[in-house]
Amino acid sequence: MTKSNKPQVKIVNCETGEEIVRDANADEIAQIDLDAANAKTRKAEAEAKEAAKVAILDRIGLTADELKTILG
Amino acid sequence: MATTTNYGWTTPDDTALVKDGASAIRTLGTSVDTTTKNLNPETTLGDLAYRSSTSNVNTRLGIGGTGTVLTVAAGVPSWATPSSGSMTLISTTTLSGSSTVLSSIPATYNNLVLIIQKPLLSVDGGALRMRINADTGTRYRDQEFGATNITAATFNRTFLQIMDDNSNATTTGLIQIEFTDYTNTTTFKLGQTTGIQNYSVTTTSLNITARVLAYNQISAISSLTFLPDSGTFTSGTVLLYGVK
Repeated sequence: MTKSNKPQVKIVNCETGEEIVRDANADEIAQIDLDAANAKTRKAEAEAKEAAKVAILDRIGLTADELKTILG
Repeated sequence: MATTTNYGWTTPDDTALVKDGASAIRTLGTSVDTTTKNLNPETTLGDLAYRSSTSNVNTRLGIGGTGTVLTVAAGVPSWATPSSGSMTLISTTTLSGSSTVLSSIPATYNNLVLIIQKPLLSVDGGALRMRINADTGTRYRDQEFGATNITAATFNRTFLQIMDDNSNATTTGLIQIEFTDYTNTTTFKLGQTTGIQNYSVTTTSLNITARVLAYNQISAISSLTFLPDSGTFTSGTVLLYGVK
């Protein structure tokens, strides 16, 4: 039997102990893709924010550590 | 015939004849034997005795089972399983795939405690997330401890963030999550998590997290889904405990 390339979902029934591993269905795959896209966007936003912060510090001639010292 | 004050054992009168002494001593001895046995009915290591409804006759209470505690039922002592304060291991699950779901969580406990041992994600710098009752709506909020109290906070996420910036190469991490009153059907759901995890940039450093977890639905928690923000689980173990 060929192993599926689809994402796998594991479901454990806590009452019976039964464990099922199955392919993700269409809705679940859509959600996984959406989650991954959102995560990527958030990461890019965080990186952009960090870069903007560094740019401002460069402009005023401070390092991040010096700013921390100032802010206490 | 004269009798003793406390147990009423028969003793010879002062005027009794000497020839009746052996019989009198035998009668007294039998009485003492019977009374002693009535007061000490234990037969087995660990047995206890308590007063019965009959004067000078105790009742045997056999030793209880391991972990049981002494309580009172119907006016007499008995052994019982503790009804509070105990933790029961409900399930042990290895994290795998794109998501791992703990379903059909029994509704017979007061709180849930989850211990996640050494979670490892396939994507470096990835985050470990969680959903309640397979709900993917924007109904979650997680807030780090130590942040300023927030009024008018919004439920702004479609998941609960448990840990982020995790190393995908090294894990000595450990996470604890607790949900309080998870079967209540009239309140929002509240949890809290604390965790340590290897940092993705410098794996010898740690990410240390402490968060309040909030979910704005009143339904009881019957399933919990663990998922990475992208990729899959490489490894990790979830222990689910029910707390009474």
